[in-house]
Amino acid sequence: MKIVAVTACATGIAHTYMAAEQLEKTGKALGHQIKVETQGAMGIENELSVNDIRQAEAAILAADIEVEKGDRFDGMKTVRVPVQEAIKDPKGVFARIKG
Amino acid sequence: MKSETTNSLAFTFTCNLPNGLHARPASHLADVANGFAAAGTLKNLRNGVEADLKSVLAMIAADVRAGDECLVRIEGPDDAESFETLRSFIHRDLPACDEPLAAPAPAGSAHSLPRQLRSAASYCHFGIPVSRGVVCGPTVVVGGIVIPEAVDEPGYPERDAERLSRALQAVRNRMDVLLARSASETEAAVVRAHLALLGDITFHRDLFQRIEHGIQAGRAVSESATFFGALLRRSENLYIRERAIDIQEICLQLLEEIYGPGFQPAAVELRQPSIVVAENLAPQQLLALDRTLLKGVVLESAALTSHVVILARSMGIPCVVGLPDAHVWLGDGQDVVVDAGRGLVVPSFAPGVRRFYEREGTTERRRSLALGRFSSQRVQTVDGCGIEVGANVGAAADFEAAFRFGADGIGLFRTEMLFVDRDEAPSENAQFEIYRQAAECAGNRPIIIRTLDIGGDKPLAYLKMRPEKNPFLGNRGVRIYPKHQELLRTQLRAVLRASACGRIQMMLPMISSLDEVLWFKGVLSDVRQELASRQITFDAAMKVGAMIETPAAGFLVDRLATELDFFSLGTNDLSQYFFAADRENADVAALSNVRHPGFLRFLKQIVDAARKRGRRIGICGDMAGRLAQLPLLVGLQLDSLSAPAIEIPAIKERVARLSAGACRRLLEQAIEFGSASEVEALLGSCESIEPPRPLLDRDLIVLDAPSEDKEEAIRDMVDALYIAGRIGNRDGMEEALWAREAVYSTGLGHGFAVPHCKSRAVTADSIGILKPKRPIEWGSLDGQPVRMVILLALREAGQNGGHMQVFSRLARKLMNEEFRARLLSADDPVLLVSQLGQELDAAV
Repeated sequence: MKIVAVTACATGIAHTYMAAEQLEKTGKALGHQIKVETQGAMGIENELSVNDIRQAEAAILAADIEVEKGDRFDGMKTVRVPVQEAIKDPKGVFARIKG
Repeated sequence: MKSETTNSLAFTFTCNLPNGLHARPASHLADVANGFAAAGTLKNLRNGVEADLKSVLAMIAADVRAGDECLVRIEGPDDAESFETLRSFIHRDLPACDEPLAAPAPAGSAHSLPRQLRSAASYCHFGIPVSRGVVCGPTVVVGGIVIPEAVDEPGYPERDAERLSRALQAVRNRMDVLLARSASETEAAVVRAHLALLGDITFHRDLFQRIEHGIQAGRAVSESATFFGALLRRSENLYIRERAIDIQEICLQLLEEIYGPGFQPAAVELRQPSIVVAENLAPQQLLALDRTLLKGVVLESAALTSHVVILARSMGIPCVVGLPDAHVWLGDGQDVVVDAGRGLVVPSFAPGVRRFYEREGTTERRRSLALGRFSSQRVQTVDGCGIEVGANVGAAADFEAAFRFGADGIGLFRTEMLFVDRDEAPSENAQFEIYRQAAECAGNRPIIIRTLDIGGDKPLAYLKMRPEKNPFLGNRGVRIYPKHQELLRTQLRAVLRASACGRIQMMLPMISSLDEVLWFKGVLSDVRQELASRQITFDAAMKVGAMIETPAAGFLVDRLATELDFFSLGTNDLSQYFFAADRENADVAALSNVRHPGFLRFLKQIVDAARKRGRRIGICGDMAGRLAQLPLLVGLQLDSLSAPAIEIPAIKERVARLSAGACRRLLEQAIEFGSASEVEALLGSCESIEPPRPLLDRDLIVLDAPSEDKEEAIRDMVDALYIAGRIGNRDGMEEALWAREAVYSTGLGHGFAVPHCKSRAVTADSIGILKPKRPIEWGSLDGQPVRMVILLALREAGQNGGHMQVFSRLARKLMNEEFRARLLSADDPVLLVSQLGQELDAAV
């Protein structure tokens, strides 16, 4: 499955990147094609393109704050979780896409 | 109910007075109890303290707080009636005896306290910090009730009991008159509370017992005042502690009755390391105290520019001011901690306080040790630009401390401290002795002695100066010399004679014209001839310079340079004259901002003019002591800075990390701005002035840490960063970390926690690592305790790009089990730094 994701924590120093790493790692292990955009202290990195989003079947928004440009995912199958959940139980987050 | 074991009647009640059983409700209760012959006691079941129901003082000392359960026992002839009346009074009327009082507004608040001190917040006295440092010791009240030896005679019980009774009656009569005249119910309530204390049986018993033991009446009163004062101050209740003021007031009135209306308590002498508490102190009073025993100063007055405050700061004595009624609150002989940096005074018996400050002491010692390598030598910037860092001092006694802190010289010796608060000017020999001692203490280091700087704002009684409407624009500094030539000549003779003993230089205050300099040099030349003719040796080549404190002098530096050898920027006055804004007027003080681009332009112009003429120029104003604006001073290319001694190590540390070239560019940029706020923003964000330090450092790795819990682990990490000079405000840093923890725990599971923050307190981006001896509960995602804490600290301003990349790489790697295992197995800090540096591709 093609999946896009955004991670964004309150300070953007640590958890944004930990969650991104967990989603990328777990997504690949589960056989998904995943691209994760981080919205942290360095601003937006690995930004999702219009194409990335159009081709994706689902979006994971792991965020403790409001995701910037959140309207990009309007109309998509979207899973919203707190950042810490993506760190603690990334498999569970992916399971939610199916559920 | 009748008690089985004794013949007393007893009942219990729970105190529901919000402020506890303080003086006013207690005095009502005592009134009721005193209406019966039966004896009564009140026992606080929380602390077991038992008190006489007829004594307000005893009940206050029982420290009954809201929610405490108390046992009341009645025994005696009319016990049944007394029991009923008291029980109904306590249940029905007592709760209404406590009208709400306006809470005093403290300067600080519990919120600004470090976490570990919060539990002690109710004991803390918040004042205004004037110097740094923490000191612990017993208080000695200057101006408290100390019976002068002259009137302290042996006691004759009969005579003294009679005297005391008369005094008690006289004070009672006075209070009755006051009560009758009371304009408001509040006023009357206060007098009634005083009357209750005055008539308190415990108080009377204590007084008369002392007299029976052969203590003279006045001394008995002073001892009682100390005894009850200490008792009340120990209460956790603010209102009860305040009653110590009432006791002292009553005792002073009694002493006036005993000794007559002119009664003055005696001056004090320190007998052990002490903290001096006073309403205010005259410089001579401070200087008269034994410096080896004077550990700290607490003043009620809030005058930040008073002489004593300037002195305390230059002596490096921890000092807190602006604590109304401190001498009564604290009393004599109470062990307190003076935390001058935070502006706090805390009784050291409060729980946790001693532990907290012991820890602070250790941290500060390690910080000074880390700073020591900067203080022991001359300092230069990373690009090799040297700058002399001297000390501002106010008395010869400060020299030793100044050099201990690493002063390269004395940039300003304020001699007026030798002249103020006396009946006459110090003699030539007395002055010579002080200047000579200073010169000897300094060895081959230079000393700049500023000639007497006195004026309407700091008048000398014996000069009989006329009061002025605007003293700061009046007769001050060099302007008074023509009228008081003998005073000047005496000082010049003393300084010149001392110049034979060391590298003494002389500096003039408040110059605004070349004529003043010429006149002064004329007098100096006379004095030199006079000394020469008397075959007295002096340094004929002694340098003479001037403070640049007036814009007029600032614009005339090139001309003044023809007559003077050096200059020193007196930015405190220079800025207030430049901006036409009084530094001591809170409404306009902010206008007098030394970071104003216009002011910086002016300073640059002055410095450039002096350099062009080959004259040395430095700064001795407050501006020199502020670390945040050091880059501007280095950018000005000053030859020297002079600041309070205690600031010297930190100034040297900062200078050693600055790039002079970048500071010059920063200044060029700053003077093109339009406002001080732009300059401040630039100072906060400019990276190049201080070449970045590596994120990782051996000093930031604490293996086998003794930290017992999360709070300690965070404090330990913060301390490590502080000792390494990577954060400014430790409390602010800790708060920022806790603010983040409050969102959700940074314990990410697998035994790791990553507390982090982006804060103004951070001066260098850093990664700290702490491995506790025993795993610590952190509230982690997986509920497991933490075996490794990795702290990420980021500066608030500036481009953190490179460092953020490293942080994000580290955060990602922490998701990798093998990486975590490698970290956990590390047992050598140096190895860990290099390994981690490689893995994260970060410079170390």
